[in-house]
Parts: sequence; structure tokens; C-alpha cells
Amino acid sequence: MKGVYIHIPFCKSICSYCDFCKVFYDSKWAKQYLQRLNDEIDNYYMGEEIKSIYIGGGTPSCLSLESLEYLLNLTKKFAKMKNIEFTFECNLEDLNLNLLKLLKFYNVTRLSIGIQSFQPHLLNLMGRNHTFKDAKEKIALARSLGFNNINLDLMYGFYNETFDDLRKDLKLYLKLKPDHISAYSLQLEDHTLLKVNNIPSLLADDEAFMYEIIVDCLIRNGYNHYEVSNFAKKGKESVHNLTYWNNEEYYGFGLSASGYIDKVRYTNTKSFFSYLKGNYRLEEKILSKQEIMDNEIMLGLRKIKGINQKEFKEKYQIDLKEAYPITPLLKNKELKQKKEYIFIPEDKLYVMNEILLKMI
Amino acid sequence: MDFKQENIRNFSIIAHIDHGKSTLADRILEITGAVSKREMKDQLLDSMDLERERGITIKLNAVGLKYHYQNETYLLNLIDTPGHVDFSYEVSRSLAACDGAILVVDAVQGIEAQTLSNLYLALNADLKIIPVINKIDLPNANIAKVKEELKKVLGFKEEEILLCSGKTGEGIKELIEAVITRIPAPKINNNAPLKALIFDSYFDPYKGVVGLIKVSDGAVKLKDEIMLMATGKSFVVTELGIHTPKDKPLSKLSSGTVGYICASIKDISSFEVGDTITLKNKPALESIAGYQKIKPMVYSGIFPLESNKFEALKEAFEKLKLNDSALTYEVESSDALGFGFRVGFLGLLHMDIITERLEREFQIPVIVTSPSVIYHVYLTNEEMLLIDNPNKMPPQVKIKRVEEPYIITNIIVPDTYIGAIMKLCQNKRGIYKNMEYLDETRVNIHYELPLSEIVYDFFDKLKSTTKGYASFDYEFLGYKPSNLVKMNILLNGNIIDALSVIVHKDFAYQRGMQMTKKLKETIPRQLFQVPIQAQVGSKVIARETISAMRKNVLAKCYGGDITRKRKLLDKQKEGKKKMKQIGNVEVPQEAFLAILSKEEQ
Repeated sequence: MKGVYIHIPFCKSICSYCDFCKVFYDSKWAKQYLQRLNDEIDNYYMGEEIKSIYIGGGTPSCLSLESLEYLLNLTKKFAKMKNIEFTFECNLEDLNLNLLKLLKFYNVTRLSIGIQSFQPHLLNLMGRNHTFKDAKEKIALARSLGFNNINLDLMYGFYNETFDDLRKDLKLYLKLKPDHISAYSLQLEDHTLLKVNNIPSLLADDEAFMYEIIVDCLIRNGYNHYEVSNFAKKGKESVHNLTYWNNEEYYGFGLSASGYIDKVRYTNTKSFFSYLKGNYRLEEKILSKQEIMDNEIMLGLRKIKGINQKEFKEKYQIDLKEAYPITPLLKNKELKQKKEYIFIPEDKLYVMNEILLKMI
Repeated sequence: MDFKQENIRNFSIIAHIDHGKSTLADRILEITGAVSKREMKDQLLDSMDLERERGITIKLNAVGLKYHYQNETYLLNLIDTPGHVDFSYEVSRSLAACDGAILVVDAVQGIEAQTLSNLYLALNADLKIIPVINKIDLPNANIAKVKEELKKVLGFKEEEILLCSGKTGEGIKELIEAVITRIPAPKINNNAPLKALIFDSYFDPYKGVVGLIKVSDGAVKLKDEIMLMATGKSFVVTELGIHTPKDKPLSKLSSGTVGYICASIKDISSFEVGDTITLKNKPALESIAGYQKIKPMVYSGIFPLESNKFEALKEAFEKLKLNDSALTYEVESSDALGFGFRVGFLGLLHMDIITERLEREFQIPVIVTSPSVIYHVYLTNEEMLLIDNPNKMPPQVKIKRVEEPYIITNIIVPDTYIGAIMKLCQNKRGIYKNMEYLDETRVNIHYELPLSEIVYDFFDKLKSTTKGYASFDYEFLGYKPSNLVKMNILLNGNIIDALSVIVHKDFAYQRGMQMTKKLKETIPRQLFQVPIQAQVGSKVIARETISAMRKNVLAKCYGGDITRKRKLLDKQKEGKKKMKQIGNVEVPQEAFLAILSKEEQ
């Protein structure tokens, strides 16, 4: 069973922090793009059973209803598992009755809404514009149509963000009762407006403290902290994202998408026009067993539960403790063990690279 | 190549660094036809890459040049000398092979510290000096002022002073002819038993040790059995000749000549600079005066960054030693750094060169610990120990007194900096001696200073306090008693032996603060808090704390782009390779030289 990621690289406005692959929305280009996407799926999809679909971007919700319908029809090509998780990323502004009805009709099960924050000065810095009132109304609308799995993105760690700003955001998020929250710290990436404008970064210590505030607050409010940056109500953990952390295989379709099929990790071209010409793949790499195992460590330890030793042995025919220096790290309390699981303790999650570097 | 012995001239060029000595030598080689313009690499005499890059001469070279003058053919032996105080013994031996020297002074800078120290060495060797003002083509050349300095300070006469430009070639012909007319031919003594001075040696993989020699008495021929008077060892001559600058083998080198000699010698230390060669079966009665065994002045620990590179490091030292008889090393073991070597150097430049060659030519990344001078430690039982390593310092109760090496300075600066220099030297425990004016605005200041302060950060401080206007040189003076103590550095509660230093008691507190602060800046944050302490005896005199690392995580999801995550992690891994794990603390290479902190306090 595999996952499917589909990238829609169009946006109506470009956020200052975003370094994902995207272009300004244009209906003519969007149509051409979706046709190539159709071809790519036909070329590469091998007919396996699919347990999750994730349509991300860019801003998939900025497509016209006509294009959206074309896109959603493409997903009919996949042999869907019965309880498939089907996520669609959207912007608050784009959410309306027609869109939601269409998504529902095509069996989208999960909405991921890129809210990021409600603090006006932070939204201003991000180049975004929405209010808590918008969110409340739109989410109520979605719920009324039967969407019972909603993720809200939260972004933190801006240089001009105070701890109180974050606490206010968390309070507002909780009022919306999301089923899932992805909390990502701001990364100042090259070729983003923030970087070009030399926006400073927040002190690492302050950012780490913000992370503590988030983890503490969400756990207290009944969320399961199941991955470094992800929190869910019981049973609402993201099947799709867990595919990544479990080091399982998935398709990536569309501009700049990455996939992992038959031990090959590939990334698609980041050039829009190459993609339109049908030159999809930019790089492909067949992974060695060692690299696959290293990825299992790097990804698996992002899960709070950690890595199951029995499953590891079944997968790789070698004991986890034999393949990696687990024992000294357990002794140092940089790793912990609970039954079959080896995991990074909560207080070390935000320095987990240091621990990974001792292992791979 | 046969020459009338009276047509031989053996000479050197001496100068302050950057006054254009090597360029001048290149022009002389060119004009005498020794090398064609096409073959000419800049600064031909500096044959090591490192020398060419740094614009300094490390190893000596000698070339024999032909020149026609007034219907006679002359053989001019140009003996190049290193221009740095670290190598002053080698300079003095090269000068001993000469009868004259060209003293080069920059037309803009005028007399500088090494102009003086090199001139004194040349005068001690009784050489005829030809003063020449170089770089006269520069737009800001001040020939009149430099001439005044040469006359007033060094006592040259107006008509003696030549002008030239190594860059344009102007005045070079006149300079060569002055070498012929002013410098005397070497003293010839054909009939006495062989006496030849070794003024340099290097290792050639095909020929073995090649000695550069000046024959003063008698002659040496191919297949002669020669004897080295200091070591008593004997060898059979397999090849001899002169450098033109290419090797030109001859059958004989006779009195007055400068040339090279090989005798299938594997070990450079049995062919030492300053030693005298004679014939085994007809030895000279006494050797040429001035021989000394080269003694290192500064010692450092050198450890491989990766402990499995110890054998490779040992081989590298063996190879470096072939070409560098001044280098000494012995195995040292450190609790913190494992096995490495205690290495003796002539000075800081020599140390820099060796460590750079280890990394560049042998690709062995190394950790260099703080350099130390040699202390004379007198115990309560009157026994005297030579201590070149802080960790060999006996316990305080057993020590009666400690003496440390002192030097005397030539510091030449514009007089507006007199106050700054005095303040600097006082801070470095200096004892003022005297000062003289070179002209209306420049002075030469003499201080006695502990050598350990020079090794520490004196050069950098001098440069920054005088905006680079000071030139500096020194001479070894002798040992003087000092109130010295050993200072330990503790990381996370453990003494790190490789960071221990010997300091003056009155300066220990200040030095301890500086070191702990610098270490805090250089050691990255770890997963736990790391205290850094400086300790004298059992007393902590300075403390800093590196707080625990709070963030190193790839928080973002990157839409399933795992390869990107992996690349970021691999990049961090590369950075870790430059660290040394000590106990549970990761310490970067440069932390071990924290005491040589280059920042102002």
C-alpha cells in the first residue's frame, strides 16, 4: 500500500516565507499543467492499492471549479483502499460552499487549512490576510457539510513574535477545535521575500521555548503529540504524513514533487516549462540498504513513539541495536526504550539532529 | 667550468621582508643569462610553493652565475638567505660562506628592523656591504630620505649607495659590477688540507642528502673520502658541482668555490649546517668557527585530529625531517588528544610552516597545542630540569625557582607610537633598555621581553597598536628568573591536559579570563551545559559556562522531500568531523590555540 502526493504549483499571492515550487495562477497554464499531470500519472502509476492521497501546493484551492473537477477526476485512476485518507490543502479565502461540496462529492476526507497565525503583525509579515471570524465561519461551514478531519497549520518563530503572541494564537486555534495541528517553525529559506529583505531570525533559545509552549499547551488540551511538529486528536493522526515517517513508499506527482517507489527516491523537475514539455524527473537515486536503514532512523525517530525494534528486524534482518549505537545513547538518556520501541525523549526532540548525527 | 680563482665572488643579498630581495635576485639571474625570460618563474630561488605564496625564503639556495666584465669572466656565487629571525643561525652560516653582501632597502619604507639585524649578522661575518636602495620606480619612493638614513644610521657614504629597481631592471647591471669591483675575491688557500663549510643541506630522493658548501682551504674531488669534523662521520663523494641554477656536475671544487656535494647520505642530521668537511686521510687541524647544534626555541604538541592517523603523522615527520634538520619531535601522549608528538621549532614561523605542510602536503589535519618555550626549572635539591611542556612541570612545592628565556628587541616605529609601544611592552612584562632615533620621526626601541610573550600574541598586538607601521626583530638574550605557575583548564570538570599553559603569576587571572572566554566562543553548544574553568593549583581563577544547546532540528516537513533532509544532515556531519571528542565534549581544532587569542581584550 502506498501514498500519493500531488503538487499543484499555483497561487494567487505568494507568501513571503514560502520556498515551495509555485507560480502565479493562470487558468490557461493551469489547464495545460493538469493535462501533463494526467500523463505523468498514466506513465508512472503501477496500479498499487493506495491508502492516502494528499493534494498540496502551492494553493490547490485557487484552481477554478472546472479545473478542480478535472484534477479530482484524475484521482479516480488510483485503486483506493476502502478507508482512504484523502487530504486537500486550502486557503481560508478560497473556502466556500461550492468548493466544499465539490470536494465532498469526490470523497475528500480531510482538509488542511494554511492559517499559520491570527496575529495581524505576523500575517502582515507573511503577506497574508485573514481574521479569526473568517476561520470560525468557514470551518463551521465545512463541519456542516460533514468534514470531520480538519488540520490547521501553525507557524511560529518570527523575530517579532512574542511568547504572548504565540499563546494568543494557541488559544484561538483551540477555540476552532481542529482535529489536527501541524506546527512548523519559520525557516528563512533562500529565494524567499523574507530572506531577500534580510528579515532576522529569532534566537534559537526563544524558538525552542516557543516549541515547549506549543507542546505543553496542545498536550494539556488533549492532543496526541505523535511527531516532532504534528499533533492530533485520537485517531486523527495523518496517515499520509506517517507514510513518510514510517519510511514507506509513496508516489509524488506534479512539479517538484518527490516520491519513493521501488527503493528509488526521485524528485521531479522544478522548472514549470520542462514539466509542461513532459520532462518530469529531475533526479532519481536507487538507495542502498544502508541508506534505507539510515532513512528509517532519521524519519522513524521523528515519531514520538519511535522505532519498533521487531518491525525493524523484520524489515532489515538485523537488530536495531546491532546496526546502530543504541546502547550508549540509552545510557546517556539521549534515547529511551519502552517495550519494543526506541525513541527520543520529549525534552531532546528539538535537538534531535545531534542524536541522529551520532547514529548515521 | 674553469675560472681564475681571483675571479670568484661569493655574496648574499640581505633585506627586511618585502623589500624586494627575491625579485632583485631574479633580475640578476636574468641579466647573467642563468635563466631565460621564458623559464623565469617569479622568485626562482624560492622553490617551495609555500615560499612563493608567502613571499619568503625558507630554505636556502645558491647559484653560480657567469658574467663578463672588462674582458674577464667572473663566477658570481649568489647565496640566498632566509629573511626571518627564526632562521638566524642558518643566515649566519650562509653569510660565513660569503665575502660580501648586498643590503637592500626599500625606497619607500627605509630601514626596518630586519635590515638592522641582518646587517649586524653580515658585519659580524666581516663582509663588505653594498647598500642599495630598491623599488626606485615606485611613485612614492623617497630616495633622499632613505639615503639620509643609510648615511646617518648605518654610516655609509653617499657615493657607496646604489639605486635600482628589481621590477624594471634599472641599476641591476651597475649592481652586478659593484659586486665584482667592491667585494673581494675569496681568500685562496690551495695547499692546506680541505676545509669546507656546510651552509645548507636538503634531501633529494635520488641523490640523498645534498650539502651546499663553500670550500675555504684545499679542494674536494669526486670519490674523495670526506669526514665531518663535528660528528666524525665519513662518506665517499658521489657527485659535486655548482648550481647554475640547474645542477652542473664537476670533478672538483677548489678553494674559494661555492657548490653542492652528495655522498649517498640518508640522514640529514649527520650532515649538519655549520659543520666543516675535511678529508679523512688528510684532515684539517681545526674546524671553521661558529658551528652550533641547532636548538629549537618553541615547542608544541601536534596531534592527529583522527587518532588512526598517528602512523601517517609519524611518517610525515620522518619525511619533513629529511629536509629540515632543525625539526625535532618525540612521541607525546595526552589524556585528551591521545598519541601525538612534542615538536620543537626554531620559532613561530617555522611552526606555522610545518603545520601547514602537514595539512597541505600530507593531508593530515592536526591539532596544535599552545606553543611553549623551554623553562629552566630549579628544584629544591638544586637539580635543574628543562621543561618544554606545561604537563611536565613538577609540583609547586618541589620548585625552588623557574627561569625563562628573554630576548632583546629592535622595534622600529614612527615616534608617534612610542607611547603605545611602551604600554604594550609593559603589559608583556618588558624591561625598557633604551631607544635611538633613526631620523627625525623614526625610532628604534629596545626592550627586554620574555620569549613566551612573543610566542603568545605580541606580533598581533604590535601590528594592531601601530596600524602595521612597526617592524620588529629580536635577539636571544638569556635566561632570567620569573614567578611562573602552571594553569590548568577544565572542561565539564575535567582537566584537559592539552590546554595547560605556564603563565606569570601576576598575569594568570587575566590570562585565565581570556582563555575561558575564548573557549566559550570557540566550543559550540552541546546537549548539556559545559562549565569552563581556569585553575592555578587547586584554586579556580576564572569561569565561563557554555549553556546547553536548545535547537538543532529539521522541524519542517518539506512535502516528503526526504533527500533534502538527508543532505542537510550530511552537511552537519561534515562539520562534526572537524571536532575532537574529549570526554563527552566536542571540541573544535582551533580551541587548542585559544590561548593565542588574536582579539583585543
